[in-house]
Amino acid sequence: MPSPLSPTASAPLTARLAAAAAALITALVLTACGGSGSTTNASATDDAAAKPTRGGTIEYAHQQEPPCISGGWVEQAYISRQVFDSLVSQVGKGRIVPWIATKWKVSKDQLTWTFDLKPGVKFSDGDALDAEAVKANFDYWLDPKTINGTVAAYIGEYYDSSRAVDATTFQLKLKKPYSPLLSALSQGYFGLHSPSSLKQPADVQCVKPVGSGPFVIEKWNRGQNVEFVRNPTYNSAPQNAKNQGPAYVDRLNWKFVKEPATRWGSLTTGQNQVIYDIPSVDWQEAKAEYQVEKYTTPGRPQTLSLNVTKAPFDDIRVRKALAYALDRKAAVENAFGEAADFNGNPALSKSTPNYDASLENAYTYDPDKANALLDQAGWSTKNADGIRTKGGRPLKAVIDYGAGSIINADGATLLQTLQEQAKQVGFEIELKPLTLTQLFGGQFSTPTSYDARPGYWTSPTAGVLYIVWRQNLKDRPNGNNTSFYNDPGLERTIGEANSTLDPQEQQALYSKAQKRISDQAAAIGLYTRTSSLAIDRSKLRDVWLESSQGEPVFSDAWLVKP
Amino acid sequence: MSTAVLDDRPAPPDAQLLRARLRRPARVAVRILSALGVLWAAATFTFFVQSVLPGDRATLIINQDTGQTIERSAAELAPINERFGFDDSLVTQYGHYLTGLVQGDLGTSYRLKQPVTTIISEQIGPTLLLTFSALALAWIISIALTVATARRGRIASSVASGFEVVTAALPHYWLGVILLVVFAIDLQWFPVEGGTGFVGLVLPALTLAIPLAGFLGQVTREQFERTLDEPFVTSARARGMSDLGVRVKHALRHAVLPAITLSGWALGALFSGAVVVELVFARAGLGQVLVDAASARDIPLVSGVVMLVALVYVIANLIVDALYVVVDPRLGKAA
Repeated sequence: MPSPLSPTASAPLTARLAAAAAALITALVLTACGGSGSTTNASATDDAAAKPTRGGTIEYAHQQEPPCISGGWVEQAYISRQVFDSLVSQVGKGRIVPWIATKWKVSKDQLTWTFDLKPGVKFSDGDALDAEAVKANFDYWLDPKTINGTVAAYIGEYYDSSRAVDATTFQLKLKKPYSPLLSALSQGYFGLHSPSSLKQPADVQCVKPVGSGPFVIEKWNRGQNVEFVRNPTYNSAPQNAKNQGPAYVDRLNWKFVKEPATRWGSLTTGQNQVIYDIPSVDWQEAKAEYQVEKYTTPGRPQTLSLNVTKAPFDDIRVRKALAYALDRKAAVENAFGEAADFNGNPALSKSTPNYDASLENAYTYDPDKANALLDQAGWSTKNADGIRTKGGRPLKAVIDYGAGSIINADGATLLQTLQEQAKQVGFEIELKPLTLTQLFGGQFSTPTSYDARPGYWTSPTAGVLYIVWRQNLKDRPNGNNTSFYNDPGLERTIGEANSTLDPQEQQALYSKAQKRISDQAAAIGLYTRTSSLAIDRSKLRDVWLESSQGEPVFSDAWLVKP
Repeated sequence: MSTAVLDDRPAPPDAQLLRARLRRPARVAVRILSALGVLWAAATFTFFVQSVLPGDRATLIINQDTGQTIERSAAELAPINERFGFDDSLVTQYGHYLTGLVQGDLGTSYRLKQPVTTIISEQIGPTLLLTFSALALAWIISIALTVATARRGRIASSVASGFEVVTAALPHYWLGVILLVVFAIDLQWFPVEGGTGFVGLVLPALTLAIPLAGFLGQVTREQFERTLDEPFVTSARARGMSDLGVRVKHALRHAVLPAITLSGWALGALFSGAVVVELVFARAGLGQVLVDAASARDIPLVSGVVMLVALVYVIANLIVDALYVVVDPRLGKAA
């Protein structure tokens, strides 16, 4: 779920919800998805009144093309959602609703989860979606030969075994309690493949995986589009879908249009009815002319990890000083406008369940405090350039970042602003852009290779804290701990939070963990990763983004004039 | 690779004459051997450069499969290293690679999991269509402009050569976006993205053709004007030949020789330009495949595409040689 190359989002339930039912329910759910913003210029309620039509093709301009349909990258979650069903779906901030699993229960010791499956569901190749099929998927995801790294990041440490009790009863055994399990399962990475298709050679699985979802892959014209056709017998929609039957449209044309100007132009000229990722310069027009669905990515927000194992950030005073020295709120507003929000909490984004809002202003811009802290830390003299020094060495940190991938053009503007601000307190920041090869190659990701690095991790649960902040130990490495901050107490707190089902106790523990990360200034919160759709409502209605990853859902959508 | 290609190019007529005197079978053999040599050099060069660049290939593969950018543990890397043979010595890996090549197996893409030959065969169509349409368009534009304006009064001539100077320097990205905004988004004469038919080809081909036309036009015009001063042109006019006839039949024939030579080189330039055009107009094609493969260090795919480009170069230069003889029959007679 890590989503380095692309944004994601979360909440746009408004359209669906309104349609789904009465005002009471709507009010309830809206409260539930509070933090994750969804904006729609047109009232969604008229969709409820309008009657869906059948037929036609949805023309959708997406941005990035994944190497294979399914996998562990957010781009793969997006596209997987069209083809696969999952066990459960998530609504708003953490409410779980039935999908393939109609009911579930967990044993007292929280080690055995039992799922009742919807009977009679078939994959599009004819295989039955039964308990054996679900088990085959878990086996596949965690087999070292075919491992899905994102699935493993969530449940690898917890998973013990699984078995088919009978055709419609699936049982999961865990090694230790894991309360975020259902949230994790709601993500597209956990989409269920037909058992026969899992035995196909890798090249076939890559381009033509088989699911039971609302669409079937007809053809992938690499470099251009994936052509989906509707699954005419679809009968296994999640409870939160408005349309419980087969998709209204005949086809879905999912195109890859990387260039922002081209993508936007394809919407304004009517070539496409819906596009992904509104370019930041076009936000105003998008809001005025189109329906905008904005998804504020839950999970780890875009944060600056500070490498606590080497100077200068091995000194907590220097870490705090940098946080105080940066007017992050103003800088984020300047750089992004509507395209992202400031997120001061360095541990969780504001759309995540169990997010602690009290940490939002833990380090409000205060250059005096920054100067005082740096003086205390011994960086009290300055060189000719106005940079602080200690023992003759200048106070300098290298921030490396994935240019054009983790950090887009707006993000780079932000970093440059922060660089200027740091200079005001005599802190020299060097910005080092990394190419994709450098970024993915690992040689720039070691404890000695950088001082600070921005990054994020899209996740529908605070359980992501365990992925990001678990210690990085010799026998149990964790490369996702990009601050290299090893804190047994923190790991224990998060582990306890992940193992309790009591909501209040869980909130207290997750808050404690977030506070610890913030107090230690092991990372500095920057902004929420945001993704968006712009939809031409004169042509297309009822597209929404589900809430685990911001996966676009097209099975409810219908064309005004098919 | 580029040296070999340059050697193939029949630029100085003396060398061309010399080569033409070689006996035909020997000539063919030399050609084939040098073509194979170019391909081998391209494959080897790409293989080693991609293999020794910093950054661990197994880490790249795992990180890209999961969208993460972290350091990986030995336990995670082991299965990948084993599957792709990254633990073997470089020489062993190179041996496997060459053995595969000889058997016509370009390998399987690390990232896309597909055989490289499948990917290339899917993507080569749109790329060849784009580059050859652009080349043809560039020729049409440059010849029309030269014939119509060279030595046709100061104003026409300097406007046209000014156009050539300016367009030759236009960056593809800039030109592509301008054409897109004006003709596809504002005027809506053409599709914004993904047009597969003829209409969808116009703007992408023009984006590549316009700068190349400016470049070809410059060299053609210079030669064209020089030819118009030749005595045989004066004698043709004296025979009562029309001005257009003189220009097309006599002057043009001489003037296009340098442009033909350059076209072999231009194909390569068009290919790199195609990367940008594919991005702007959201077209399929080898350009984007190559860029993605190179940033992923997907060695089999990068090598496959590079060898294909080398092959196109070799073939293009063979065609250039042949065209030379057609346009200037003296070369053929010398054989």
